[in-house]
Amino acid sequence: MTLIDPPPLRAAVPPAGAAADEGWAPPAWVPTRALGRTVLLTGLLLVLGVALGRVDLVLLAAPFAIGAAIGLRRMPRSAPELRIDADEEHIVEGGEVTAGVTVANPDVIAYDLVVLRTRTSPWLDLEDADRPFAISVAPDGWTAVELPGRALRWGRHAVGPAAARVAACGGLLACRPVVVPARGVRVYPETEPFAATEAMPAAAGLVGNHRSRRPGEGGELAGVRPFAPGDRLRRIDWRVSLRTRDLHVASTLSDRDAEVLLLLDVLGEAGASGGVKGKASVLDTTVRAAAAIAEHYLQRGDRVSLAEYGSSARRLRPATGRRQYLTVLEWLLDVRADTTDSEPYEHVFGAHNVSSDALVVVLTPLVDPRAADMLAGLVQSGRYTVAVDTLPEGAAPPQRSQWTPLATRLWRMERENVLGRLREHGVPVVTWAGAGSLDLVLRDVARLASAPRGR
Amino acid sequence: MFDGIANRLARTRTVVTRATVLPLVVRCGIGLAFFAAMTVAWPVTLVVSRYLVLFAPVAVYPAFAPRGRGPTVAIVAVVAGWIIDTTWYDARTALWRVLAIATLTYAGHTLAALAAVLPYDSMVNADVLTGWLTRAGLTILISAVLTVLALGLTAELAGGAFVLATLVGLAAAVGLALLLGRLLRRP
Repeated sequence: MTLIDPPPLRAAVPPAGAAADEGWAPPAWVPTRALGRTVLLTGLLLVLGVALGRVDLVLLAAPFAIGAAIGLRRMPRSAPELRIDADEEHIVEGGEVTAGVTVANPDVIAYDLVVLRTRTSPWLDLEDADRPFAISVAPDGWTAVELPGRALRWGRHAVGPAAARVAACGGLLACRPVVVPARGVRVYPETEPFAATEAMPAAAGLVGNHRSRRPGEGGELAGVRPFAPGDRLRRIDWRVSLRTRDLHVASTLSDRDAEVLLLLDVLGEAGASGGVKGKASVLDTTVRAAAAIAEHYLQRGDRVSLAEYGSSARRLRPATGRRQYLTVLEWLLDVRADTTDSEPYEHVFGAHNVSSDALVVVLTPLVDPRAADMLAGLVQSGRYTVAVDTLPEGAAPPQRSQWTPLATRLWRMERENVLGRLREHGVPVVTWAGAGSLDLVLRDVARLASAPRGR
Repeated sequence: MFDGIANRLARTRTVVTRATVLPLVVRCGIGLAFFAAMTVAWPVTLVVSRYLVLFAPVAVYPAFAPRGRGPTVAIVAVVAGWIIDTTWYDARTALWRVLAIATLTYAGHTLAALAAVLPYDSMVNADVLTGWLTRAGLTILISAVLTVLALGLTAELAGGAFVLATLVGLAAAVGLALLLGRLLRRP
């Protein structure tokens, strides 16, 4: 029997020396021009002092030499640590935001000067965030710079990236800039109080306010009845069946609710956003109106789903309750104008994907002809559709030549024409104006819904 | 060319509107320190004449560009003036003048080192400036004591100034070489 040497195994962790040889990191600390000047002047004055036999020239060099000796008696070894702190609470546009940058000094010497620069989103009005901050940090300590301010617009806004450049040893050594990536702040859209008093066009039954009285598959217990052919076995109530010695089943009420689909036209952006107190762009109106409508219907217990009409074709599944409201707000933060020319995925908005009882609220500026076609298609397939016009008042293309005003007038006339044709097709188009905007059109849609359906 | 001038004007306007007080004070300190050092170092006959206008730009330029070679040039100009005054004009090596030149040149140098890393529009914590000035004050104090002792010693050892200067200079050169060698060997 011979012993076979085990095969050589590769170490899971490389030895300490290997990493130091393989990887070369640039030194974090570099000498400044001040150190070069100190060495040059000290040497020059000493040489002159010796050459000319002048003790006063040697004494002129003394402060430079002593300053360098005091400054460089201990060298920094590690780079500073930087951290961005930002609010993670529920911030609504116009609300207070608290952000901050913390510089930690893990070294044994003090940082004489730390210059801190932060870049922030233009929609976050943070105090003095556009200026560099000059602070000092004690050894093994930290210093924080607070950046209080206000959020001006909905969306995901970045605090950062932040960069710190440190000077130590009396400005003779400086650290290469340390940069940390940005941190996001979620700012939710401000919802104007919206109240539609009119009933849903096809509310066969609502979860919450209007419970269905029809028996069927569902979660609400209606009672216990004897087993009949066709009943599912899992519906058998074994306790009652054992007591009565006959098979009984638990019957339930059907869960029915109304679905509201909010379709957001993101094919284009128009108008300049002025933040929460300024002018609203198309996307501002779209997002704020969608949040308000979703809040209203979710409070009533309806199911709300959202979809984007654009090439990204994002979609939020229908659901109800407060959790869905928060999901809707989160989903709305990622709404962006679609700048690509690719065709929207028609199947996402195809009538077959929209429940026949759903109320489809399309938030659109009606600038792109594809949006009008989509609206007409939805109505033709018998969906209850309401269009909310989100084009801001007085929106016009930028003045490029003498023909621009004429072209703008032509475009406006064409748009009026499209609106008229949509109305002829039975698409109510209403301009968003906050609370009660949809009352009138919802009444019309409810009236349409009461009529016999069919094409 | 007009675009360039317009851009430069716009940049100047931005600098003027955004500048904060403490960086401005630091830069004024640089200009004042170097100008004062020049007036002390150069011969009085030149200082009180119209040649003063030649010193002013050399002294004030480092305040505008502390990151460049301006501070080095200004300090070399001060030392050159001092050598000219003591050799050509045969002025006496007065203790107060050596003290003043050493103090003012080092103050200008250290303030230029601060201004080089301090942006003109920064929000400066007062600790930064007080800490910096305290360290500079300590350095100046130690060197002033050394100056008083050394010049007093040369006065006591009449005629031995050349030998003493040579010895002090050689000792300082050896010390500096040792210091630099130690710094380079450190990780």
